[in-house]
Amino acid sequence: MEYLNHNLERLGHSDPALVAAIKDSRGGILTMTSSREGTPSATHGGQWIHSAYDPRKEAGSWAEQQVGEWKTGELGVVLGVGLLYHVEALVLIKPSESRLAVVVPDVSVLKDALGARPLESWINTIQWITGTPNVMAEQLALQSAPLRFFTYGPAARLHAEEHQRLEASLRRIVVGKAGGQLHVAVVGPIYGGSLPIARYVVRALSELGHRVTWIDHSVHHGSYEVFGSFREERYRLTVQSRFADVLSFSTIAKIAEDPPDLVLAIAQAPLTLAVLQHLRKKRFTTAMWFVENYRHLTYWRQLAGGYDHWFVIQQAECIEALKRAGAAQVHYLPMAADAAVHHPVTLTTNEQQEYGADVSFVGAGYDNRRRLLPRWLSKEWTFKLWGNEWDGAGDLSSVLQRNGARIDTDACVKVFNGTAVNLNLHSSSGTGLDAHPDFVNPRTFELAACGAFQLVDERTLLPELFSPDEMVCFRSPDDVPSLIRTWLTDSDGRRAHAEAARRRVLREHTYRHRMQDLLAAVGMQQPDRIGSILRGERSAAELRQRTDSATELGPLLSRFPSDQRVELKDLAADIRARAPGRELSREELLVLMLDSYRAETRDLL
Amino acid sequence: MTRRALVIQLARLGDLVQTIPAITALKESHADWDVDLLCPAPLADIGQLLPGISAVVKWDGAAWHRRAISAEAQIRSEHIAEADAELRATMEDRYDCAFVLNQHPRSILAGALLARENLGAITGGPLDQRLSPWALYIRSVSTAKQSPRIHLADAFCGMCGMSPPKQIMPIRVPETALPTDLDPIGQSEGPWVGVLVGAGDRERLVPVAAWERMITECLEILPASRIVLVGDQHEQERAQCIQGSLPPFFLGRVWDSTGRLSLIQLAGLLARCQIVIGADTGPLHLAAAVGTRVIGWYFARARVHDTGPYGPHHWVWQAERGEMERMHAVKPSRWPITETIALLRGHYDTTVADWSLWESYRDHWGAYYVEAGREPVEPIQREQVWRQLQPSSVS
Repeated sequence: MEYLNHNLERLGHSDPALVAAIKDSRGGILTMTSSREGTPSATHGGQWIHSAYDPRKEAGSWAEQQVGEWKTGELGVVLGVGLLYHVEALVLIKPSESRLAVVVPDVSVLKDALGARPLESWINTIQWITGTPNVMAEQLALQSAPLRFFTYGPAARLHAEEHQRLEASLRRIVVGKAGGQLHVAVVGPIYGGSLPIARYVVRALSELGHRVTWIDHSVHHGSYEVFGSFREERYRLTVQSRFADVLSFSTIAKIAEDPPDLVLAIAQAPLTLAVLQHLRKKRFTTAMWFVENYRHLTYWRQLAGGYDHWFVIQQAECIEALKRAGAAQVHYLPMAADAAVHHPVTLTTNEQQEYGADVSFVGAGYDNRRRLLPRWLSKEWTFKLWGNEWDGAGDLSSVLQRNGARIDTDACVKVFNGTAVNLNLHSSSGTGLDAHPDFVNPRTFELAACGAFQLVDERTLLPELFSPDEMVCFRSPDDVPSLIRTWLTDSDGRRAHAEAARRRVLREHTYRHRMQDLLAAVGMQQPDRIGSILRGERSAAELRQRTDSATELGPLLSRFPSDQRVELKDLAADIRARAPGRELSREELLVLMLDSYRAETRDLL
Repeated sequence: MTRRALVIQLARLGDLVQTIPAITALKESHADWDVDLLCPAPLADIGQLLPGISAVVKWDGAAWHRRAISAEAQIRSEHIAEADAELRATMEDRYDCAFVLNQHPRSILAGALLARENLGAITGGPLDQRLSPWALYIRSVSTAKQSPRIHLADAFCGMCGMSPPKQIMPIRVPETALPTDLDPIGQSEGPWVGVLVGAGDRERLVPVAAWERMITECLEILPASRIVLVGDQHEQERAQCIQGSLPPFFLGRVWDSTGRLSLIQLAGLLARCQIVIGADTGPLHLAAAVGTRVIGWYFARARVHDTGPYGPHHWVWQAERGEMERMHAVKPSRWPITETIALLRGHYDTTVADWSLWESYRDHWGAYYVEAGREPVEPIQREQVWRQLQPSSVS
């Protein structure tokens, strides 16, 4: 009590409102205990928040690890309150002129901290961020300085959900403010389901005004197939693996020719760990959007530490697994739809005859679908099955269209639009519904974007993406026939759901939204690089504003249009272009010299 | 009138040492000039030893590197101002003339920043990209793999508008104490044989097993010989491997200096050896420059006519290219071990497969190599090159 009163009195000088809130709170969240060294430590739920041996020393080591990235002028934001040892340690070694904020989702924890030990005047230098996640995000977004987040894991664990919501909220605010143009290299797969997604990503980034280099490896699919035709498995695997290495290297060459701000790989992109490590060494930022079920495709284990940022379509367990495997930054980024591709269409009579049906399913013949779909056939409705890999599914042969040939995206859109009830059954290697029904597949978003009605198997992550007014789910295979029966007779209800779902997609679930989120997440982690570009701080106008006109850089910057992004390499290129026939100034020579070192730093080959 | 001249050599140790003839030639022709040297800061101590140099200007590449990373993130006036201030702190006034000996953009830009007039690798302004005749010659012989040719060190003289100097004086290494346990090196009967256990480029690394065999045979055949293992801190493990495999009774005759010496100490150590053997061209050039005889093992992309140790009485084993290696680095399958030891005993045997042996000479056109067993007639092609590229040198 003595420490609490003393600390509150001190804090009252700078933040009386916070002091009042602390006094009103109950405290008692943390369990106090003494460390071996004698200073107070704490646990929560049986887990240590600070070291059981020497909290101060541990906090010092943590702070040393964090501070290297912290640039002068950035506002450090600490996630995780605990007993504030780590905050104190950061204050001691932070860059001069940099300020520190601490996110306090629950002031009761702060009350525990203030009651545990005497705190010095440094607590008055801290900006305490309190309130709901949305309120805290707004407070942080109002800061003029770029934000640099530091997560003290053991303490942050108590409020992981609040931190996630804060980050999501902040990302939305950042997206709203983003105005800068990035150069993104999108690396696609050789083939497979992630290939169209890569194309949607390219279009979304371009529409957002970013410059995109599309590294399309699908042009090599033919060769990959040829190399896959060897009868001996070891020959096939060796040759295909070497081929993937070559493609990985060709990606590097492409990147070297026109260095991007961000290398964004889509699942199955042929980038090896060695190449990713080389890119990191050369200070390229890399991200992977892993649009796969992490339980089925497990190559992420080998690549986890290679990418700077992972984006995944599953939460909790998936994110934890990737972090355990060495991934530094993992974010949830669900699938989406490209409204330019998936949209409502009016079918001609002939098309309606060909593609239309009471009930349809489009997809490949996974085990669970082979088992369940026959149970949903009925004489009460017409049923059409589209897609490939249905060989041997005799009980579905009567409804299988085009003899099980793969259908293109245009045909899919016509099927979706021409069908009264579209079935959307997530694939699984089991015999029933997916035993781990978490992520939401692209088909969900595509059907919705088409304004098509669907029955989808229940997913744990679906409710935050679509409401019951927008999407109808089934929990059990046995529910499906009665649901079909109900909805076939309710065309108004179908239309209302479908239109609401489409509006939701257009409002929140397009690839543009996802790319905005993805870039905002990367920008928040790299406030001085990607973040700075997104905030538009590299534009000629911004740079001119920050540059004293009397200094050397002013005249060089004045040659660029105000809204053009200008970097060292652009200044150097401009000088080179204007060099013939005149003597270069000393400032110009210095810019060229700096650029020669920059080019060497980024020299990939 | 006294001119202030700056020789710019921003490449590695070997190139820096090979700049000696150019500096000597400049001083022979212009005894009243102040000739300074701009070289990478880590090599400044060696630069200071080059005969004829008045002062060394250190080029802090690491600082430029840091500044470039920061400027890449966001260019600011401070980057330009800091760089400018750093240059002005190293010299008050620009030089009358800079001799730029590399084609690398930063050497050329350094010349434009630091001197009013520039000679050497390019003609015209710093962005003109037009190579001077001598720079074109170096590039063409490197591409066409011609032989024999003008030695790189003599081509540097040409770049400075000079002919090769009449005489090359060895570097005088100042008295520098070695670590106490290394101090006996060179102080007793020998020969003391320096072995360069590593190489700057991985493709120029001689396998540890080959060095083990060579050292073992040397110690067996030359009972008075002593071996000094030479290399930097990255090569300590190789040195330990070599020592670990030697018979115990040889260990008192092997001295390991790897990773323990400054550059000046390294120069002093090489001067104490009677002969230095290796594939690492930087220390080989330094050994030759301090007056020690050298036996080079040249393979991968190293070629005797380009970068053989400068001066007379050095030997180079050159790995010959097979048909398959025309475009690639040469990877020898065997090493001239017995033949190198024969050289130490004053004999030579040129029958070793896939290698040729060359001996160095020097005349008024500079340094050149002649295949062992042949008459040292100066190749006429060199005179033609000098006539063509620098008619004034022939008058």
